[in-house]
Amino acid sequence: MLLIAVAALTLEATSLLQNYFTREGLKEEAQARASGQLEATRLQIVDATHQAEAAVRNTIWIARWCLNYLDSLPLVASRLVEDNPTVMGSTVALVPNYSRRRPLYAPYAYRLADTIAMKSLATQEYNYPTQPWFTRPLELDRGFWSEPYLDTGGGDIVMTTYSIPIKDLHGKQAAVLTADISLKWLAELIGSSQVYPNSLEVVVSRDGRVLISNPDGDITIKTLDEVAAIVDDTPSFARLVAEMRADHSGSIQIEDDGKLNHVFYAPVEQTGWSMAIVVPDDEIYGSMRRVRLIERLLQLLGLGMLIMILRITAKNQMKYHKMNEKKERMESELRIGRDIQMSMIPNTFPPFPERDEIDLAACLIPAKEVGGDLYDFFIRDNKLFFCIGDVSGKGVPASLVMAVTRSLFRSISAHEKSPQRIVTMMNEAMAEMNENNMFVTFFLGILDLETGHMRYCNAGHNPPLILSDRLRTLDVVPNLPLGVICQMAFQEQETDMLYNDTLLLYTDGLNEAVNSKDEEFTMERVEAAFQKHCSANEHLETMKEAVSSFVGNAPQSDDLTMLFIHYMNDTQPYASERHLILHNDIQQIPQLASFVETIAAEMKIEQNMAMGLNLALEEAVTNVILYAYPPGSDGLVDIEAIMRKGQLDFIITDSGVPFDPTQKPEVDITASLDERPIGGLGIHLVRQLMDSVSYRREDGKNILTLIKMI
Amino acid sequence: MEVNITKQSKEVVVCLIGRMDTPAAQEVAPQLEALEEDARGTIVLDCKDLTYISSSGLRIFLTLRKAAAEKGGKIIVRSINDEIRSVFMMTGFLNLFEIE
Repeated sequence: MLLIAVAALTLEATSLLQNYFTREGLKEEAQARASGQLEATRLQIVDATHQAEAAVRNTIWIARWCLNYLDSLPLVASRLVEDNPTVMGSTVALVPNYSRRRPLYAPYAYRLADTIAMKSLATQEYNYPTQPWFTRPLELDRGFWSEPYLDTGGGDIVMTTYSIPIKDLHGKQAAVLTADISLKWLAELIGSSQVYPNSLEVVVSRDGRVLISNPDGDITIKTLDEVAAIVDDTPSFARLVAEMRADHSGSIQIEDDGKLNHVFYAPVEQTGWSMAIVVPDDEIYGSMRRVRLIERLLQLLGLGMLIMILRITAKNQMKYHKMNEKKERMESELRIGRDIQMSMIPNTFPPFPERDEIDLAACLIPAKEVGGDLYDFFIRDNKLFFCIGDVSGKGVPASLVMAVTRSLFRSISAHEKSPQRIVTMMNEAMAEMNENNMFVTFFLGILDLETGHMRYCNAGHNPPLILSDRLRTLDVVPNLPLGVICQMAFQEQETDMLYNDTLLLYTDGLNEAVNSKDEEFTMERVEAAFQKHCSANEHLETMKEAVSSFVGNAPQSDDLTMLFIHYMNDTQPYASERHLILHNDIQQIPQLASFVETIAAEMKIEQNMAMGLNLALEEAVTNVILYAYPPGSDGLVDIEAIMRKGQLDFIITDSGVPFDPTQKPEVDITASLDERPIGGLGIHLVRQLMDSVSYRREDGKNILTLIKMI
Repeated sequence: MEVNITKQSKEVVVCLIGRMDTPAAQEVAPQLEALEEDARGTIVLDCKDLTYISSSGLRIFLTLRKAAAEKGGKIIVRSINDEIRSVFMMTGFLNLFEIE
């Protein structure tokens, strides 16, 4: 009896003990499962929001540029939508009265069926300057995630808006750039990840909107009050809400409908949201009650639990393993990217030891990651072709764009000699394939080593400095960076480099180098270190020294690229050149007239001859404009004037159909009225007015040379 | 450029004002070609304020001249400046037009 009692007692005690341990084990298992799931979901949310933020951040840069070209802002917004499938809509909304021309301006691009439509948010009823997505990022001076909301306009999609302030080039808040992100992925995510058959996953936003996943993969939004109203255990619920709002993680028990629920919760960084998994107590312990009486089964369950735990652990480990593998692979990709980048740019200095008239020195020091800076140069036909560029963004994508930029520069300038045309062709190629909104600020110059004449074209890059008798900033039309807009008309400029002049091209990693006190190096310091005439290499070393002593131990924040070009041809330029590029549009003829008049004035040519030159040029160029290119297609005419002592040459080049105007028969000016044809006067006048007219076809181009003795 | 046409009883006076380059000639061509209807009588092309002319303008002059010859009318070119006179010389227009 006693034995039985002792046995029963022992059994009961064992059972209780086992029961206790099983319960604890199951609880631990449930916790492990829930927290594993929370972590996985959280990582996916963070990843998705990072993607959205990156899409917006990649666009900031170009939006900032377009502040000078307000008409292109709608394009920026629609481009952001077009290139990012999760972005449903986007606007660039100007700070009120930032632009005098447009005190309120907010072009909004949004998906409408399969297309992208535009509308204005600057309406009285909407009054965008009062909307939180507009005001909050400006107040916070950083990116801001709006509360999730149901967008009723576009088919009941749960959306959230990421908005970020845009500062202009003077650091003044100018606009807010936004992206409306569909949260459909979130619905799919929290709908698909149920840890237990009846568990429920919810996301709670900063202001207490609760997103609940439905079994059909959709999400509904409720306010906290609405949820609180249907939960019985009010104090526990309030505690849960407080915990979640405080961005804590943990678990809590809440009773509802007489049933106990376990709620596991964790914050989601960036968004200010918190998420939770609700698991009914039955789900965790229900099975245990049935096996309570059968200890063997209990053991089996323990075994099963062990397997479960092992599996979860294995799963977690695999996840970490995969993450490590990914990280390693990325690091090696970065290394390879950097190696490729470095091998692409000229790195032997001095590059042209056999030449006395030119000396170059350059460096490209990438920050931690591979960067998007580049410089390049080569000599063709006794002309130095050189460029510098800075790709927007960082990392492997930027370095790939840098590689593309460099090879476009090389391939196009192998047969083109006009900076404007090279830059235009590069822009067309890059804008066309630019699906990631990557842009390149770029400066290209062509220096005639014989004359010192330099033609250049800028695409949104920092203006170079030129150290001549004094230091000055090269006069540069900003234009837009490469890859922004197709059909962008770039403007070409020209100047003359004199003996002993040094040109400095740099990227903003120089003037924006930051020291440990977060101060920038600034252009003043750049200029101070670039005053004394010396060799290109000495210039480079001086500047490097100035930057590194300023920066000190602070980590390098951006790629640092500099290119010094020292011109040392002391023979007087024997000729100087002027250039004009026209489209095949007859309305551009007046531009040609003022071009010729400027040259005539410079060469002090008297009125009658000036008009003759004007007429000859107009006739020759009109011919090209009207007949070289098929009607309706865009083509260019390049006019080069070479001014020598006693002689003026005009070289007119086009890439149209082969046409030799000198082959046209002479007009018989003595013919009678009846016999006089209406046409043929143009080329006749050119022949009459110029001293020599010659034509050649070269590299698929018509080249007509007109020479006038002065 | 600008074209002012005054129709008088005996003649039509056409004042050409400004630069007659290719785009300008294209612009005023319809106005001047319509004068072919008046080519039976006398058309005076007053070039007092014409500062420049290119071949597209000369073509219009020649077309009018041919129409006048066909219809028995007359074209008078009045007060051309020295630069345009030299263009007329180079193109043989001095022999084709009556110049005042």
